[in-house]
Amino acid sequence: MDFLGEGLHRALQLISSADPEVYGIALLTVKVAVVATVIACALGMPLGFVLASRRFWGRRAALTVVNTALAFPTVVVGLLLYGLLSRRGPLGGLGWLYSWQAIVIGDVILAFPIAAALSAAAVQGVDPRIRRTAETLGAGTWRTAWTVAREARFALAAVITAAFGQVVAEVGAAMIVGGNIRGSTRTLTTAVALYTAQGDFGLALALGIILLVMALVVNIALQLLQGRGNA
Amino acid sequence: MLELAGVRHAYEGRVVLDLERFAVAPGALIAIVGHNGSGKSTLLRLLALVERPTAGEIRWDGVVVSSPRLRPRAPARRRITLVEQRPMLFRGTVRENLAFGLVARGRRGAEAQNTIERVADRLSVTSLLERQRHELSDGEVQRVAVARALAVAPDVLLLDEPVSSADRAAAQALYAALAEERRARGLAICLASHQLEDAYRWADDIRALAEGRLSPVTPENLFRVELPVGGGEETKHVRVGPISIAVTTAREGSAILAVPPTDILVSTAPIVSSARNVFSGQVTRLGRPRPGVVHLTADVGIELIAVITEEAARDLRLAPGSPVTFAFKASAVRVF
Repeated sequence: MDFLGEGLHRALQLISSADPEVYGIALLTVKVAVVATVIACALGMPLGFVLASRRFWGRRAALTVVNTALAFPTVVVGLLLYGLLSRRGPLGGLGWLYSWQAIVIGDVILAFPIAAALSAAAVQGVDPRIRRTAETLGAGTWRTAWTVAREARFALAAVITAAFGQVVAEVGAAMIVGGNIRGSTRTLTTAVALYTAQGDFGLALALGIILLVMALVVNIALQLLQGRGNA
Repeated sequence: MLELAGVRHAYEGRVVLDLERFAVAPGALIAIVGHNGSGKSTLLRLLALVERPTAGEIRWDGVVVSSPRLRPRAPARRRITLVEQRPMLFRGTVRENLAFGLVARGRRGAEAQNTIERVADRLSVTSLLERQRHELSDGEVQRVAVARALAVAPDVLLLDEPVSSADRAAAQALYAALAEERRARGLAICLASHQLEDAYRWADDIRALAEGRLSPVTPENLFRVELPVGGGEETKHVRVGPISIAVTTAREGSAILAVPPTDILVSTAPIVSSARNVFSGQVTRLGRPRPGVVHLTADVGIELIAVITEEAARDLRLAPGSPVTFAFKASAVRVF
């Protein structure tokens, strides 16, 4: 138990002393998570809306694919992306392997199905009379979508939270395509894995606490937004 | 003119509407009557262009605006507005709800506010304008939904059971407001109702739906029944509420019975005749939809309506509460 207490003490020291390495890792994690969440939601949520609200040939198959993609193992995504981005791969020319952009791509691939599947479920949960009423009052496609989205705002906020949660906690793909390079592509999760393996339990715990605080802050922010929207 | 041509509509393979033609002429006031599940709401949703038919076409002035392959465009939809049976208000205040359709048409500012004030006044919802949807009763929601539909000045207004949550006085006020709006703008109104009295009082043209088809008989006296199995073309006796109606049909199982009101013989004395259906009761209402014609409603265990002439009603001295006997032949009963 001592080492746990010592670890916690070290963690608080590192956090309170504004250790540049710790904060550098945290900032990179925030950058990657925000960019990946925004891209995944910007692509996935409209797809979810279309899957939930339009009837077209292949819709069921598309829903099955999206739902199946929820179970993508992160290391497999990392491996495939590694093959694409490595120098001999089709996207090797970009030179993105072992960069934060590569981690973002991996995170987007993992969070996109979450955004699509959960927003499809959220939109399906909205009473169909809302869409019909908007249409019958003359709303076009975008205004109708916006009206439905406003009704599903709580569920859609949960979609963003879930996508952010996936991205911020992801370790497998980030490790493979990011390379866990100090000062460059080391994120909170890959750093926790590394420092734990190296026996630097205090540093790993400090980073773990920051990760938890970050998740907590995002959730509180979304809850506050929801509360305001409930007026 | 809004028109359905050769329209069939099915949900998961089950046909719920099958209409060769259904037209709403400019300025028409049509009531669609029928049992629950007869296809009224589906018909209104198709007319409102918020659903596409499984087969057939919906036309506006002869131009196809909706079909299985053609998704209705917003400009076509903007001429028709539907108020559903249990309407939903959007998140926000009543004022924001009334503004929704106007904003969708790019109308904002003073002109839009004037329109909102006018329709709010017409539907007596002015005092509700700043309220949120959860602060309204069902009847108020219904009135706000009608006001919201009128605000966009549609050419055709479709109403699905518009007074289902209103008391008698509120219903009359709503119909009066609609009549006023119609006089002012000449819009066509098509309302679905299961209340025949309302339909007769407010509509110029009454169309009955039974099992998704237009019923060829006048829409009164429709009953959903379970016909006994077997017996061929023999006379069958089926229970409708506390009475038993004799009907000649080979049909079995679930069916709609229609007793044409013009085929009912009315007497103030007991009748002995070949008619297999003879029921006695009391007159409950006398309606006069047109000069010379009387709609006589009597409670004979169930409510039945007979159509008689003004002269017959006078000779028989019929008034609410009068004893009366209705008689009709088993072969007069139509089965759908």
